[in-house]
Amino acid sequence: MRNSRVAYPLTWRVMDMLENVCARIWPASLHRLLPYLMLLPAVVLVGLLVLGLFQIGDASLRVLDTSTFLFSEDYSLENYRQAITSGFFAVVASRSLMGSVIVTVITLLFALPYAYLMVRTQSSGLRKFLLVALFLPFFIGQVVRAYGWLIILGNQGMVNEALGLVGVPPVRLLYNYPAVLFGLIQYMLPFAVLMLAPALTAIPEELESAAGSLGANWVRTFRHIVLPLARPGLVGAGLVVMTLSLTDFAIPAILGGGSQDFIANAIYDQFFRTSNQGLGAALSLMLVAVGSIMVGVVFAVFGAGTLAMTGGRK
Amino acid sequence: MIGSRSKTIVIWTFVAIALILLSAPTIVVLGASFTAGNMITFPPQGLSVKWYGAILGASDLRQAFIRSLIVSAICTVVSIPVGTLAGIALAKYKVRFEKAIQIYLLLPFTIPLIGSGIGMMLVFGNMGVLGQLWPVGIACCVINLPFMIWAVTASASNLNEDLELAAANCGAPPLQRFLYITLPAVLPGVITGSLLMFILALNEFLVSLLLVDARSVTLPVQIYNSIRSIITPDLAAISVVFIVCAGIAITLLDRLVGLDIFLKSK
Repeated sequence: MRNSRVAYPLTWRVMDMLENVCARIWPASLHRLLPYLMLLPAVVLVGLLVLGLFQIGDASLRVLDTSTFLFSEDYSLENYRQAITSGFFAVVASRSLMGSVIVTVITLLFALPYAYLMVRTQSSGLRKFLLVALFLPFFIGQVVRAYGWLIILGNQGMVNEALGLVGVPPVRLLYNYPAVLFGLIQYMLPFAVLMLAPALTAIPEELESAAGSLGANWVRTFRHIVLPLARPGLVGAGLVVMTLSLTDFAIPAILGGGSQDFIANAIYDQFFRTSNQGLGAALSLMLVAVGSIMVGVVFAVFGAGTLAMTGGRK
Repeated sequence: MIGSRSKTIVIWTFVAIALILLSAPTIVVLGASFTAGNMITFPPQGLSVKWYGAILGASDLRQAFIRSLIVSAICTVVSIPVGTLAGIALAKYKVRFEKAIQIYLLLPFTIPLIGSGIGMMLVFGNMGVLGQLWPVGIACCVINLPFMIWAVTASASNLNEDLELAAANCGAPPLQRFLYITLPAVLPGVITGSLLMFILALNEFLVSLLLVDARSVTLPVQIYNSIRSIITPDLAAISVVFIVCAGIAITLLDRLVGLDIFLKSK
């Protein structure tokens, strides 16, 4: 008895049993379907999102009856008409769009040197420091970071107290458009750097040395070597920054103080303040459409390899 | 980095500003949490840890934190098998309609968060499960799933088909090959992905805000709700919890797989 157990340990028996169960459930004849079985759970999970989109679509076609506060049974495009013709949503949309463009440009302007230094530096200590400085805010979350800015920029915040010490009256630094953009840039920097870094790693440093030895100064090297070769990364990072800042909720809500709403805040208000679910749903779908069109245009113009995330292989 | 002095100066100027921008909120929150005063003022009125004592006694904050931990745990536990299997399938096998499946699996990134959040709010609302914690965990898992799949596929270059064939040649059945050859090869990716999933779910704000009710608020939502009124140092103290968690996650990530993997070109 004992001998046999030594010869054939328990773990082997368990493994054999599991193998048998697996072979019973998924016979070798179905081998070709195995990858699809492995993909199935992920497809089902993401399916929740698709289902959600359909439910938003359904809700967006039902009009709120303001006298009974019930939604209509029949479908109409009234909500979309209201969303497009309303001056208020046009203001919010143009504010968000303009904001996301400004944020994208400034974020890339700072992210490129940061990623460049991080990739090119000889010192592994400096590289690690830059990485940690990048990941710490990335891992802390928007609310806490926005709270930090409230402490710094508030009316009784650090900046104003410091100004007060030298006799300058308090300046209103919060709850305005620049404050929101400022917060968004800070929020987006890690995303942009993390998407740019692999693109810069792919550029051989020898190319820059070669340009230098042919007499180009560093500005020209940067313009004619680094920037063109980093273009896929720049486009990908710009795209991510633009869509994320266009659709952000927390920063405009906290640093804008309700006066600088972006699209996401307007949608939230439709659902939770005015309880006009149909109009909110119509706005959400339009935002999803704008986001998808932006991604689609970038794919069409620059090729689908832009989003580094899709690749992974090779 | 090669190049002239002016290049170093210009690059460092941008990097220095970026570093201040990135670190200022963290440092200020850390500093404010140790203030002795009842208000956050500058310069601070002495040092104390009394606000840490205050948050230990605040049961609403403690419960919100526990709820956040549960949500993150659910999210991570679900995402590990789902993301790992999908990642291996995409990296190892020739799949029909691979491009379409990839684009489909990237939907959580391309659909704006407010759209995903509202959609899942309607779905879970119709199922009548809103107000429980597991839908929040599942939702966090869905919206960040591409990170998990990306992390696994990124480490799939370690997959070696010859090794698996050799194992099969030695008589290892399929499950054994998967457990002893395939899985260890992508393990760094799985670790990276699950750390990302956990920390992102811990911090997830908008989707939590849409899916929780008054009795099931998570910590970021709790902080957001309290920010509206006056700024008190206890919020800074509880925010330090997030900073500590972020620090732990970064340390683990660095020890286990190395932060440098984020710089690799693919």
